[in-house]
Amino acid sequence: MGKLYAELIRIRFLTLLAYRVNYYSGIIIYAINIGAYYFLWGAIYSGQGNLAGMSLSQMTSYVAISWMSRAFYFNNIDAEIGQEVREGKVAIEMIRPYNYLSVKTAQALGEGIFRLFFFAIPGLLLIRLFIPFQFPDTLEVWGWYGLSLVFAFIVNTQINLLTGLFTFFFLRNEGMMMAKRMIVDLLSGVIIPISFFPGWTASLLQVLPFQAINFTPSMIFSGALAGKAAFTAIGMQVMWVVILLVPIVLLWKLAKRNLIVQGG
Amino acid sequence: MGQVIRLFQDYLSQYFKTKLTYRVNFITELVSNLVYELLNLVFILVVFTHVPTIQGWTLYEIVFIYGYFLVPYALFSMFFGFWDFNERYIIRGEMDRILTRPVNHLAQISLESIAPDRLFGVITGVIIMFFAGSKLNLDLSWYDPIIFLLLVFSSTLIYGGIYTAIASVSFYTDSRTGIAPMVWNIQNYGRYPVDIYNNAISILLKWILPFAFVGFYPSAYFLKKEELYGYTMLTPVMGIIFFTLGIIFWNQGVKKYSGAGS
Amino acid sequence: MIKITNLEKNFRIHQARSGLGGAFRDLFQREYRTVHAVDSLTFEVEAGEMFALIGENGAGKSTTIKMLTGILTPSAGEIEINGFDPHKQREKYVQSIGVVFGQRSQLWWDLSPLESFRLLRRVYHIEDEAGLKWQERLIEELDLGSFIQQPVRKLSLGQRMRCEVAAALMHKPKLLFLDEPTVGLDVLVKQKIRDFLKSLNETEQTTVLLTTHDVSDIEALCKRVLVMDSGKLIFDGQLDELKQRWGSKTEVVFQFKRKIGKEELAVSLSPFECEINPVSEYALAVLFTHDKLPLVLSAVMGSFEVTDVAIAETSTEQIVRNIYSTTSETNGVASHG
Repeated sequence: MGKLYAELIRIRFLTLLAYRVNYYSGIIIYAINIGAYYFLWGAIYSGQGNLAGMSLSQMTSYVAISWMSRAFYFNNIDAEIGQEVREGKVAIEMIRPYNYLSVKTAQALGEGIFRLFFFAIPGLLLIRLFIPFQFPDTLEVWGWYGLSLVFAFIVNTQINLLTGLFTFFFLRNEGMMMAKRMIVDLLSGVIIPISFFPGWTASLLQVLPFQAINFTPSMIFSGALAGKAAFTAIGMQVMWVVILLVPIVLLWKLAKRNLIVQGG
Repeated sequence: MGQVIRLFQDYLSQYFKTKLTYRVNFITELVSNLVYELLNLVFILVVFTHVPTIQGWTLYEIVFIYGYFLVPYALFSMFFGFWDFNERYIIRGEMDRILTRPVNHLAQISLESIAPDRLFGVITGVIIMFFAGSKLNLDLSWYDPIIFLLLVFSSTLIYGGIYTAIASVSFYTDSRTGIAPMVWNIQNYGRYPVDIYNNAISILLKWILPFAFVGFYPSAYFLKKEELYGYTMLTPVMGIIFFTLGIIFWNQGVKKYSGAGS
Repeated sequence: MIKITNLEKNFRIHQARSGLGGAFRDLFQREYRTVHAVDSLTFEVEAGEMFALIGENGAGKSTTIKMLTGILTPSAGEIEINGFDPHKQREKYVQSIGVVFGQRSQLWWDLSPLESFRLLRRVYHIEDEAGLKWQERLIEELDLGSFIQQPVRKLSLGQRMRCEVAAALMHKPKLLFLDEPTVGLDVLVKQKIRDFLKSLNETEQTTVLLTTHDVSDIEALCKRVLVMDSGKLIFDGQLDELKQRWGSKTEVVFQFKRKIGKEELAVSLSPFECEINPVSEYALAVLFTHDKLPLVLSAVMGSFEVTDVAIAETSTEQIVRNIYSTTSETNGVASHG
């Protein structure tokens, strides 16, 4: 069984490697995105020392690392599930001796690994040439960051599985997926750190799963979350991983039943 | 041309018939578009809770630019829905079918993916503009609506040209998702004053992927930023140039697809 | 009607390297190979003919069809169909042809066929009374009435295929291309489509070009057959001729009233080249080329008392198999199609 998933991961990796235009443009445009937000924040900070407890240099690190974290965890498996449902391929997947959702997760991981090595790491080094920002100076912080990034990946994949699963009921679901992508980007802290949100909205975001996707690892990397606080934040991520399993399992059961009723 | 317009009506009615078979998605798509439009507003509002201006630009000026930005994009995405061009027409071979029909290929593809529900984006944009405009006490001359239409049309042409050119890339490579979703990210920087970016990026946004002309420069006219009027007037020119380039790229691509340009 | 002269098509194919390292190297540098998909193809077709283009996968059939329909530009050579150059005058030319791609739908998935037809009538400028009448005839003859209002996604393959044929004919084209139209269809549906095509050919003189893997399609519809292999035309002629050229021998089994020895029969068949095999004590099988059938029959019947005769004709299927096996032996590698 483990071999099967290793193979799925490898195949996804190879598939992505085969599309070279994506690869080049991906790097370039991620860099442009980061650059643009870098300047946007630069303009926002002009004349201000500290905003929401973050200095400009912390913000710069935050922008770079939040995009690079995104480069790792981002995937489109919900759209893929949607397509497979519409084309009726899911019925075939159902009779195969594996769990469909695990297969999708393995593919997502294959994509994540590809993105890590070919987007995130070279991207990070590339950006550092242009934008001065701080790398963590201890191995320990790198370790915490790596760990929280893994959980960030899991939480994001879980949310994608959830939106993907809705296709089983609505057949077409692009609208919800698009809204989800925007909401995840905004509320996970890619576009704006969660600590910037005013008053009650910030406290609301603290109890939503989205911060686990980006805000947590990025804050650990930029040094704003350290020691015990970092540990607690990772604990929260783990909690979300566990909580999100519940709706996934439930929806999956319903989806399977729905599929049988509809006959694929 | 007359035929294309008549076809447009037909496709429009097909569109609604199709959409109404997936009612839930039709509604979630409408809602998600609105959510997306408002989320960007949230970013602007959140940032301005911490600062009074961004390099001299006030909250409502930025909001106004954003409102304008929504209008041409909505119009463009009404006629350009073939983001999945590569997947649908090249990989699945639908392009062959297109080429065996006696209507211009780009027009056919555009019609097959029209999305009239995007008109809601126009409404959202205009509401945001009026809201910000009233906060800024902007006054309107009788000819301003005409100028608005002209500018919006030009901005729409810029989008059309850029994304048609990008879709044409599919004729040259079997790459799956291509560049379009990435460029889509860049376009979002057109909703902020270009002068906050560094030189390289502002050159990119002015001349290479001229998204400065789909939001910022046209809005500058209504915000009475006289020093930027030159750029505002350039908007139609850029529209024509980029749309023409897009068409040329596309036609070259079709040639390549047919195997004449390899 | 159709005039093809020295048609050629070459492709440059990316050679993917194998393995992870290979894929990585492909990112930066690619290797290409030129393939001659279609090579000096020449033939002519009269208006009103129904003919089949056959060949193995990769023989160049689809490439040829794509050039004939104006989708692909030829690398060299001339095509003239209905007085047009398909690629150069595409928009005018396609008005005069209909195309059915068996693997690809031209109907709107979520809408009823009737909606698609309506749209197609607009696409082809045939919104008049005559167009509507023609559509009604298509619906009637292909027997689409009972499901024409249902969304295409709910139709069976057979129903959908009949709608596809109707859609391709909506503008009454003079020339109809059918690319693998009967793949996966059951016998009844195949029969229905064939009957329809025959009557269409008779009443409207529609020229029909068929590519297929299904030999029964050819037998039912086409007199003329073109065979392609490795991009070249290796046969162009009547179906009968094809049978003679590649058909294996005809076998006739004679049942005699008394025991006849192999040698005894051989004497009376001595003028013909044939092979005699005993089947049972009273029966002998004679193998010879098809053209000698009447002579052999009369010779045997004239000399012996025969109680029964069974003629085993080689099927076209057998012939096609023969062609494929002989050509791929001589031509080895199959090229891109």
